[in-house]
Amino acid sequence: MALLDIRNLSVSFETPQGLVKAATQVSLALEYNETLALVGETGCGKSVVVNAIMKLLPANAKVDGRVIYRGRDLLSLDEKEMARIRGQDIAIIFQNPSLALNPVYKISEQVSESMILKKRSSRSRAEEISSQLLQRLGLKGRESSYPFQLSGGMNQRAMIACSVVLGPKIIIADEPTKGLDQSMVGQVLGEIRKAKEVNGASLLLITHDMEVARQISDKVAVMYCGEVMEVGKTEEVLQAPSHPYTQALLDSLPERGFLPIPGPSPSMIDPPEGCRFHPRCPWRRDLCSIERPVQKSTTTGWVRCCR
Amino acid sequence: MLWGKTARYAIAFFLIISLNFAIPRAMPGDTLTNLMGEDVHLSEDAMLELKAKVGVDQPIHIQFLNYWRDLFHLDLGYSYHLHAPVSSLIRERIKWTMLLVAPSIIMGAFVGTLLGALAGWRRKEAKSRLQTTGFLLIYCTPPYFLSMLALYFLGFELGWFPLKGFYQSGTIGDIAHHLFLPVLIMTLFSASRNYMIMRGSVIQERQMLYASYARAKGLSSDQILFRHIFKNAALPIITLVALDFGFIFSGALFIEIVFSMHGMGNLIYDSLLCRDYPVLQGTFAVITIMVILANLLADWTYGLVDPRVRWQR
Amino acid sequence: MAEVIRALRSAEEKIRARWSLLGPLIFSSFILAALLADLISPYDPWKRFNPYQMPGWEHLLGTNDMGHDILSELIFGSRVSLAVGFSAAILSATLGTAVGLFAGYFRGMADEVLMGITDIFLMIPQIPLIIVLAAFLRPSFWLMALLMGLLWWTALARIVRSRTLQVREMGFVAGAKAIGFSDNHVIFSDVLPNTLYVIAPKFMLTVASAMIAEASISFLGLSDPSMKSWGTMISYAFSRGGFINGMWWWYLPPGLCITVFVLSLVMMAGILEERDIEPVKVD
Repeated sequence: MALLDIRNLSVSFETPQGLVKAATQVSLALEYNETLALVGETGCGKSVVVNAIMKLLPANAKVDGRVIYRGRDLLSLDEKEMARIRGQDIAIIFQNPSLALNPVYKISEQVSESMILKKRSSRSRAEEISSQLLQRLGLKGRESSYPFQLSGGMNQRAMIACSVVLGPKIIIADEPTKGLDQSMVGQVLGEIRKAKEVNGASLLLITHDMEVARQISDKVAVMYCGEVMEVGKTEEVLQAPSHPYTQALLDSLPERGFLPIPGPSPSMIDPPEGCRFHPRCPWRRDLCSIERPVQKSTTTGWVRCCR
Repeated sequence: MLWGKTARYAIAFFLIISLNFAIPRAMPGDTLTNLMGEDVHLSEDAMLELKAKVGVDQPIHIQFLNYWRDLFHLDLGYSYHLHAPVSSLIRERIKWTMLLVAPSIIMGAFVGTLLGALAGWRRKEAKSRLQTTGFLLIYCTPPYFLSMLALYFLGFELGWFPLKGFYQSGTIGDIAHHLFLPVLIMTLFSASRNYMIMRGSVIQERQMLYASYARAKGLSSDQILFRHIFKNAALPIITLVALDFGFIFSGALFIEIVFSMHGMGNLIYDSLLCRDYPVLQGTFAVITIMVILANLLADWTYGLVDPRVRWQR
Repeated sequence: MAEVIRALRSAEEKIRARWSLLGPLIFSSFILAALLADLISPYDPWKRFNPYQMPGWEHLLGTNDMGHDILSELIFGSRVSLAVGFSAAILSATLGTAVGLFAGYFRGMADEVLMGITDIFLMIPQIPLIIVLAAFLRPSFWLMALLMGLLWWTALARIVRSRTLQVREMGFVAGAKAIGFSDNHVIFSDVLPNTLYVIAPKFMLTVASAMIAEASISFLGLSDPSMKSWGTMISYAFSRGGFINGMWWWYLPPGLCITVFVLSLVMMAGILEERDIEPVKVD
């Protein structure tokens, strides 16, 4: 039994332009102590999936399926029960730390807040723990700074502290390296990995960067146009991808020569019939535009492709 | 930054008060009359004496300097209708106005921001929609008409409150009884404006990423509103309320008139009837000073509350 | 289940759509009444009947101390009240838009100076200043509108300026400049149209506050006695004993007209402002 089991999760948004199908029948499992990377281009729906797990989607979102955490379906919980899960059991690290932290409070206040409000710790105890945590993350002497006084990387670490201070069992990181320069990426990934190990937690990492996935994850799930196309052990997926989209993503990496994926990004309102990748697929056959491929087992996971 | 702002206020103060100096001299009609008020009948000798005293024969720059000198000596001129210095007339009246304005602005700020924040946070709920409609109606009604309505229904029809203003000889209980309705109206009036601003501010702030992050941290709805959004949303309010002060204060003057209170509003109303210009000009100068002080105070408070301003100085 | 929710949602949308029609509906009926005053007014508003009549079949809203028919006064008075509100708002919108556009577009020195002036104008206690000036001058509604227009452009100038600062960074503006169009051309055909949606709601609100101010200043007796507005009606009711003697039909209708009309303006402004709120975000 996995720690977090996502079954047939579908999310759509009612918009004036039409129904946006942001995620379609997404099924994923996150095991104990595992790091799973959810990979895909910007706009493929991966953030929607994690926001659906956390129940942080806006009111116009329609969510179907099940998200089972320790035998309970999170989607059936009310806001009060869910608030108890957030932070304590499942924590999330957003991609834009300078905007995610509250501009008018010191970072130590923002870290200790969860302790005071959710664990009923005394203020002094909470502040002690939060300053220890901030020091461990390399923010010694910066505890009483405000977010606008810190760099993006420092805010990123402050937010990691905010998110993991309660010792969550699952850490979700939503594009934690987006917009950071290359020297910072390794450092931030290191901090996240450390936070995961200290808490004995599982990590669900969202990224558009295959290289990041390679560095940190045990398992990779590749998402395209709201669907998961391929899941497997990181080495397998990156060495011998089974899905043409995974191959195309790998080919677009700098060291493989920046080969762009041909064709335009698909519409999420009116996604392609059959296999959603078929308009851009080099191995396309007639069947691909008619029939949605079923999941086929691979050595360490599965793939959604007819080939 | 604060010094730059203070300099701007000093310039504004100088220009607006200078405008006050220029008005009676630039307006059509006899300057002496414009300075003394209409229907002032004096003997020829007294007139000459006055002319010298008011200083209309002197060159304009001397008059200008004298005007500022007098102002700094708190001399705002003399009312020939009421036979008293304008400054002592205003001092006598302003305390009654303050008795109305001060509690109302404080309560209005409190009630307006609190209810406005809740309404912006839970704006789809029937209760907050109803509340918004109520405050919107108050917002759209001229304050004096609101006073007339309240006085008609609660004072005239139901007899709960006295129809005429309050009296200096009254006991505290008497004054409170007379003050209740005007303070209530004034509070609702200023609350309605704060309510609208705060509601809009919260509706904007709730879309900010820090609000969803607070939710992701596991905070309850009330905790997100009061611990995270409220402070951010209230910051622009400080400035807006100060800018609104002139309007709110003018509203108080009209409320006073309807309730026949012995404050600045009726002083202005009476001096308009007999065109007692010195009093009108004196009150304008005092109101200007109050508006500028309110804004200065707002900037100062803002600097204290917002760390981004506090540290950038 | 999903269908029930959808049905409920569409019902709610319909109700909201109907509510949002209320503002324009009230607004246009008042405008229509003002335009067609000669046709729909039961009497000449200056014609004298028996004074102090309660509302009845003869006079739907009664008569005042001069024996004027209140309903007719109300219909003709709307012309003055609306005219003052709109002319003040048109003047202040023109000034505010011009100041905001030029400050935001040219930035630098022009911006500093114009915004400095704006800040100073913001400090002026507007209604007290209009009272003082009106006391010296012959009472006139046009003067009132002119003064309000000259004093009330500041808020709009700030809004237009910050919108202009955004718009001028957009691709098409840079493109138009690169092609070699003159600044004037760029400002009026590229920048201005993109600021209109922030101007429109503010314009409505300015009409609203100009009408409240008109009513307030008229209340002090600073209006032209040869013309009737909603504000002067209440003013006379108050100063000539209608209020203290409980003649509600004298001052209630003009006051309610002000409130309801201002409400329609604020509602329309609210709808215009909220149109862009809550963009849908995917990923």
